Amino acid sequence: MVAAFDFVPAIVLLPFVSFLIALFAGKYMPKGGALAGIAATAGSLLLSIWVAISLLGVSGERIHQETIYTWATGIGDQPWELTFGVLIDPLSALMLIIVTLIATLVHVFSLGYMNDEGETGLPRYYAGLGLFTASMLGFVVADNLLMAFMFFELVGLCSFLLIGFWFRRDGPPSAAKKAFLVTRFGDYFFLIGVVAVFATFGTAQFAGPESFPVLAEQAVAGDTSVVNTTFGLEPTQWFTIVGLLVLGGVVGKSAQFPLHTWLPDAMQGPTPVSALIHAATMVAAGVYLVARMYGFYAVSPTALAIIAFIGGFTALFAATMGVVKREIKQVLAYSTISQYGYMMLALGAGSYVAATFHLMTHAFFKALLFLGAGAVIIAMHHNENMWDMGGLKDKMPVTYATFLAGSLALAGIFPFSGFWSKDEILYEAFIYGLNDPLLLGGWVMGLLAVPITAFYTFRMVFLTFHGEPRSETARNPHGFGWNVKGPLSVLGVLAVVAGFINMVPVQKLTGIELDFLTQYLDSGGEGLTYSGYNALLAEYGGYEAGVVGTEVTTLLIAAGLSLGLAVTGLLVAFKLYNVPEPVEHTAKLGQVKDVLYNNYYQDEFQVWIAHRTQSVAAVADKFDQGVIDGVVNGVSSVSLFGGRRMRKLQTGLVTNYAALLTLGLTALLLAFGLLGGWFV
Amino acid sequence: MVPPEYYLLLSAAVFCIGLFGVLTRKNALYFLMSVELMLNAANINLIAFSLFWGNMTGQTFALFVIALAAAEVAIGIGIILVLYRNFGTVSVTDATTMRW
Repeated sequence: MVAAFDFVPAIVLLPFVSFLIALFAGKYMPKGGALAGIAATAGSLLLSIWVAISLLGVSGERIHQETIYTWATGIGDQPWELTFGVLIDPLSALMLIIVTLIATLVHVFSLGYMNDEGETGLPRYYAGLGLFTASMLGFVVADNLLMAFMFFELVGLCSFLLIGFWFRRDGPPSAAKKAFLVTRFGDYFFLIGVVAVFATFGTAQFAGPESFPVLAEQAVAGDTSVVNTTFGLEPTQWFTIVGLLVLGGVVGKSAQFPLHTWLPDAMQGPTPVSALIHAATMVAAGVYLVARMYGFYAVSPTALAIIAFIGGFTALFAATMGVVKREIKQVLAYSTISQYGYMMLALGAGSYVAATFHLMTHAFFKALLFLGAGAVIIAMHHNENMWDMGGLKDKMPVTYATFLAGSLALAGIFPFSGFWSKDEILYEAFIYGLNDPLLLGGWVMGLLAVPITAFYTFRMVFLTFHGEPRSETARNPHGFGWNVKGPLSVLGVLAVVAGFINMVPVQKLTGIELDFLTQYLDSGGEGLTYSGYNALLAEYGGYEAGVVGTEVTTLLIAAGLSLGLAVTGLLVAFKLYNVPEPVEHTAKLGQVKDVLYNNYYQDEFQVWIAHRTQSVAAVADKFDQGVIDGVVNGVSSVSLFGGRRMRKLQTGLVTNYAALLTLGLTALLLAFGLLGGWFV
Repeated sequence: MVPPEYYLLLSAAVFCIGLFGVLTRKNALYFLMSVELMLNAANINLIAFSLFWGNMTGQTFALFVIALAAAEVAIGIGIILVLYRNFGTVSVTDATTMRW
């Protein structure tokens, strides 16, 4: 039991080792380092499962925290400690399994997508995957905010490397740069937030009696001696500001409005990388971070309401753009933004479990959909345009069946996994929204996004797999092997059954105990549990569940609404696109379609802002070149000048040196003599 | 018994002659001889004080210095030989190729 927790660092280190192997020995290995990567991630997966089982075996508080390395300590009266440590609680154990599972399947799938397709640069690819997985795992087990920030940045770096994998083409390098810069913009605020947390609490630990969420709660409860707020603000106001600063990083990484623009462009990377980014690593990091420090957000209701509103808005906003896209991966990209909007909505609505639940089910079905799209792309000889596909279901039955399962889950159709998690989010947003207009707004937008999600998902399914083939490649698709079908099957099963671990609505209707995930997440350490967060929210956030009639009618209204709307969206898509020769119905939208197709001109808007801020950048450049570099260059030129003068002393004549020695001795003797008073 | 001041004066005179040689001569062989003079000035001091205090340590040291001087001369002569082969002269002012 204790032994399992000793292996937590190994979970992070194994993929890192595979990174080193692929980087330095990949070109001598048969599959370009793929086998090392598969072995490492599978090993991490087994260790994660072992850790999770051990955690279940712990009676009482299920939490394991250990400081592994202290790399800096404060001196004097600054009791700060900067450490690397691991924190294993139900949340991180669950996340470890998700990340390692998806990473393993993505590695296997890459054999089919990259190796079998004869790509070059495979060692670089597998090194990137290994480092990506390792950084995300490091982020997941991090026990303090600073360590989390470091790994957060590493994740961003790896996404840059992998999105730009095909660096010889035009698109990928620029997409990689965009992803890097946009997320960096968010991370800038995150960094300030980390510093603010340190300045306020003197610690950045996530868990334990001295952790910053606990101190924040004490401060809000009235004991303001434990924190240093700045600018003379009340603790609640200051915590809201700090929370929003950290949220900047979350918005960037989880691709929330207005920093979502990098994610659709990130589709330029290889498809398995997209699956990894969207399902388990990069994008999940933002939501996970909020869940990780939820105790801190729970005491600042303003920050939560903003999170909920951003989330609801992003869910709707991204869904509308997904409707008109022509390329299969673009549709999936917008669905990812939209689904992470739901998670943010859940977090803002105070439903930590629903967010985690949706994070999990989404990881499974989105990885499935991306890998399915990857299979379609292999079959279509790397043509991603859905209007060139059609009729693929007879030729690729495994892909079709699994893709359909993933789509039903994404659309939120009963009883697939996405239904349970999305329904729980909307239910929670609804009941708390009844007492909070901002949350209600988030709920309405989330609800509106449901039929749109169902519509674009099934538009994609019907265009890709149904009807008549619309191109030569669709008539004779390229085949693929077990390494594509295997991961698809595993994820297909999970996309169907993963929802059954937390059937709260059924429990409320029938009374049978079915909320396993809720109970699991409620068993963590003190201050890290679901009920603990709920108590905080009720006490400091004024979160109060409202009902329409009785609880059961409320539940039925919420579930019925979301399911009804999802089915409506599906049926509309069925009507319009499940025909032998579908046409572009979205063209009837006219100008609206152009706006949607161009992503509400968000990219153009950002470019416009970039042009407006060029003068600021020019000043910064001047400062950098002039002052910063000037100081450095100045120091070196002083040394150079001094050296040029001083070397004149070195004449190469021994006589001169001897004369200098003698003069020096004489001068010393004179000095001693004068000071010692010999000549008086 | 001769008072130690005389020895010290002698020693200082020999040292100054050696120093003068080092500062003014250009021939490397003269250099070597001048250095020998300076070493022996130190020897005179050591032995004078040894005699004055009735302590053998100074004389032992002087013996060591003589042995050291012999070794130093062997190396010095070697260097001068190489100097002559490379530059065709034993003047210390000509060997300036290692200078900046």
